[in-house]
Parts: sequence; C-alpha cells; structure tokens
Amino acid sequence: MNSLSATSGTDDFATTFANAVHGGLDKVLGQSGATAVLTHMKMTSNLPDPAEFHKKLLTLFGKEATLSLERAIVRDLVTRLKWALDLLSIEGPFDFNTAMLKIKKGMKA
Amino acid sequence: MTTRKSPGLKPLVQVDSQGGTAGSGADDLAETRIAAVLGLKQFTQRPVRTLLVKGLAGTGKTTIALEILKAAGKGKGAYISSRVPKELLEMQIPAMQKTLQNQEFYDIRLEDATTALDFVIQLTGPKKVKTIVFDSWDGLAKELDQKERLRAEKTMMALANNSGAQLVFVSEEPGATTIDYLVDGILELVRVEEQDRAVREFIIHKLRGTKIPQHKYLFTLLEGKFTFFGPYAIPDYTKVNKFVRRPDIDGSYSFGSGALDRLFGGIIPGSTMAIEYDENVPYSALRTIELPPIINFLSMGRSAILLPLPGANDERTNSILTKTLGESVVSDRLRILNVVRTSDLETTQMQKNVTPNEIHEMVTRETTTLREKSKDQSVLLVKSVSALENLFASDLDSLLEVTSQEIITLAQSHDAHILFLAKDSPIRSRILSMSSSYAKLFVRDGTVLMFGVKPHTGIYVLQHLEDPTSPSLTQMV
Repeated sequence: MNSLSATSGTDDFATTFANAVHGGLDKVLGQSGATAVLTHMKMTSNLPDPAEFHKKLLTLFGKEATLSLERAIVRDLVTRLKWALDLLSIEGPFDFNTAMLKIKKGMKA
Repeated sequence: MTTRKSPGLKPLVQVDSQGGTAGSGADDLAETRIAAVLGLKQFTQRPVRTLLVKGLAGTGKTTIALEILKAAGKGKGAYISSRVPKELLEMQIPAMQKTLQNQEFYDIRLEDATTALDFVIQLTGPKKVKTIVFDSWDGLAKELDQKERLRAEKTMMALANNSGAQLVFVSEEPGATTIDYLVDGILELVRVEEQDRAVREFIIHKLRGTKIPQHKYLFTLLEGKFTFFGPYAIPDYTKVNKFVRRPDIDGSYSFGSGALDRLFGGIIPGSTMAIEYDENVPYSALRTIELPPIINFLSMGRSAILLPLPGANDERTNSILTKTLGESVVSDRLRILNVVRTSDLETTQMQKNVTPNEIHEMVTRETTTLREKSKDQSVLLVKSVSALENLFASDLDSLLEVTSQEIITLAQSHDAHILFLAKDSPIRSRILSMSSSYAKLFVRDGTVLMFGVKPHTGIYVLQHLEDPTSPSLTQMV
C-alpha cells in the first residue's frame, strides 16, 4: 500500500512537472518555441528528472535565460498545485533543483 | 525540408571580381564592401549579435544578408530560407553562388515556426555556426499571433545570445514590428528616385554599442554584390601616377579617362560639353573632369586653355600638370587664365574693369597662338562659366552673347569646349541648349554622383580609386 502510494505520488509529480514544463516554457518561449525546445531535447512526452532537465536547458540557453525559464516552470507548477509561491520558502538565490525537491516533498506529504 | 550543398555548380561570376566599374580600381572597391567596414565591421566582430535587414522587395536585402554570411567564413554560416530555394537564389544572385555553396542552406518554405526554431536550436547548439541568416522571418511570423510571435523572437534571441551566433533577420515589413525592439541593429534598404534615375540607399536605424558616423549611405548591387559608398574622399595628390596617353576614339578626342570615355564616348571636334554641378560638389571631384582632357590633349601634342573654377588652387593645378607632363609642355602649350585673379589680368595687360568681350578677344588671341603650337592646330578650351559670372555679374547678357558666339565659332573648328557651370547659373539654360553634350554632378549622402543628360546615361558614383587626377565611376544599379 505504502509502495503503491509512493509510486502514485511519483507519477503525480511527473505528470504535474511535465505539464508545468510545457506551461512554463509556453509562457516564455511561446508554443512554437516550447515545442521546438522540447523536441530538440527529445522530451516531448517523457520528461527526465528536473536535474537533467536543468542541465539541458543550461546548455541551450545559458545561465540567465535558464533561470527565467525555470522560474516560469516553478510558477506554473505552484499554480497547478494551488499553492502560494511563498509556501516554497526557499532561502538564498533561486535554485531549480531545490525548488523541485521541495515541491516533490510537499506533494508526498 | 532541408537543402544541403549542391555539388558541381560553378559560379557564373567570380565572387570577388569587380567588373562593371568604369574606372579599374577593382581591388580598392572591395574595401568598401559592406561586411568589412563601418558599423558592420562591428557586426562581424560581434558586439551586434542580432541584425534586422528590412526593405521592400528588390531593394537588395538578400544580397546584403549574403555578404554578411560570406564574412562568417566557409562552413560557419547558415541560411534559412522561407522564400526561395537554393537553386533559384544561386541563379538570381550568381555572384553569391560560392557563398551559398560554402554554407548550410535550410529550405523551410513549407515548414512552420516550430520547425524553423528547431533549425535555429540545431545550429546554435554546437556553437560552431557564427552567422545565421533568416530570410525571411516575417513569412513565418505572419502565421503567428502577436504574443506568440514575440515569444518566438525572444527564443531566438536567447539561443543566439547563449551560443554567440549572430542572427540576421531579413524582413519585408516596412513598419516597426516586435522584432525591431529586440534586435541590436536595424538596416533599412530603400530605392529612391534621384534625377529620374533609381538610386539605392541604406539607412542605419540602430546599431547598439556602435558609433554611427553617418546614418545613410548609397550602395550599388553591381554584379549582384553589395558595395556601399562612404562620403567622398579628397584624393592624395602626392600619389599622382604617370599619365597614360589615350588616343582619339573614332575621330573624337579622348577625355583622358577611360571612365569618361566609356560614359560619353569622347569629345567630338567642334563640340561643346557642359558640366553642371551642385554647389556642394567638392572642387577635387570637378578637377578630375577638368584635368584629364587637358593632360591628354597636351600629351597628344595639342594645346589647351584653362579658365579655372572659382576657388581653384592654381599652384596645385600647375604642380599636377607639371608632374604628369613635364614643365616644358605645360609652359609651351597650356595657358591658364584665372579671370578672377588680378595678376592674370595684369599679365594680359587688362584693366580690372575688363568686359566679357575683352576676355573673349584675349581667349581668341591665346587660341591663335596656341593653335600654332598644336600638332594638328586643335585647341581644347576648358572654361568655368561660374568664374565669368562672378566677374560679370552685372553684365550677364554680354557674357551670354560672347559665350554663344564662342560656341558657334568653335563648332566650325576642330577645337573642343568644356564648360563648367553651377546648377544655379543664371545663363544655364541658354548654355545647355547650345551644348552638344551635358553631364551633371551632385552630392547625396556625402557621395558624389555623376550622370549624362545628353547623352542619357545611368547614374555613377565618382571616386578616385586609381589616380587622384582621374575619376573612377561605379554604376548605381
């Protein structure tokens, strides 16, 4: 039961994360830009873990643009989860992986 | 759909050849090529990462974009075309065939914005490509709504920025669009009508981080190459070359300049040629029309008389003529009569209140003397009407009468007559109606232009690419 619940939690996160990636990228890059980027990353359907996704974004867009894109994804994700952004309460500069871990934990809880 | 290099096609025109220039300073002209100068030098050196080239159809956008692509170096550029297939482009701009074959070509005529962006990602990803030309972006952008278009444009900017690649967008949209605000530089190409002839001009609307000394320049697409012209530069007279004598052309006297001979076909004996100039045409530009016929006449063993333009530097004229012909020829068969200089009037024993008729008599006397020294009794008379107008401002009717008489007398001889007159000359129309040929010089965007009215010719840029005393004429097409 626990194991099933854990799997289900992972699936939920993966689906929500995927949707947030599409939503966040759409907002910044537009539909054509987002599709082109995800096609290029070969991530149209199967999104890898956030850490790997972060690396790929960084290669394509560089530090500054990646930060903007990741912020948009996190904002989209938080909206989907109907959270308030300050609930993330991340200290220090924005870090995509830390934010994702926090969301993942929060979804499990 | 992606078109790769098509092997086996040879360029119809050698890429770096510079034919079609009336002067033969081919190598020097190459220096004025767009990618190697001014603001666009900055572009090729990368402070300007994104450039928008806009203009209506047929203004030369694709040619300039290809020039920039060429500057990227072999294999370091890519051309994304949403309008024309590679083969057609090679046919339309044969001078750029080699450039097109040296770079990646992506034909996206049937693709959507997503695929186009995917190509940009593929090209910018490996960070090998230096320049990407998008010809045209509006073709695809028109399919997107405003918000989506802006986002797609931002995506491309971000990709280019990260990879260090330069993006050149070609656009046929004349008004400002979303991309105008995003790019680092905007060039607009226009065709303007000047004296019933088409002249091409490019306007630099912005070029971030680059000092723009001038916002508008003229350019030509001669031989399918983008050659632009900076402001007219006064030649360096210390570099006067040895003059090469030009024989008569089918019974006409040579202008002493290949460029002028090709344009006007020589000076017919007994004829009068009028050269009209705007007040802002530099004297050194006029001098290249004034001196070569004199030098050639003298080097052919004939004689010449010069009534210089107001403001002419007689010492410099003398020094150029002596340098090219030798002192004895100049002192023996050339007479310079500076009518606005008191010393010359004294030399000819005239009073300060000389009349047009007295000047005419003096010229006739000098002509008779010089005719004896000319190998075939012909004399060239190069005369500034402006200088005479200044001298006889209160008696222009007499001046016109005398000038008309001179033209009529000359028509019955084997002499030749070149008259220089300002655009606002009060006796201009009368003189022009009596002249057998007529050329005009004027300045636009700092560039000196010349064309023939009689006979009708195209419009040419006047520079000094070969020799400071000789004009180089490049056709505006």
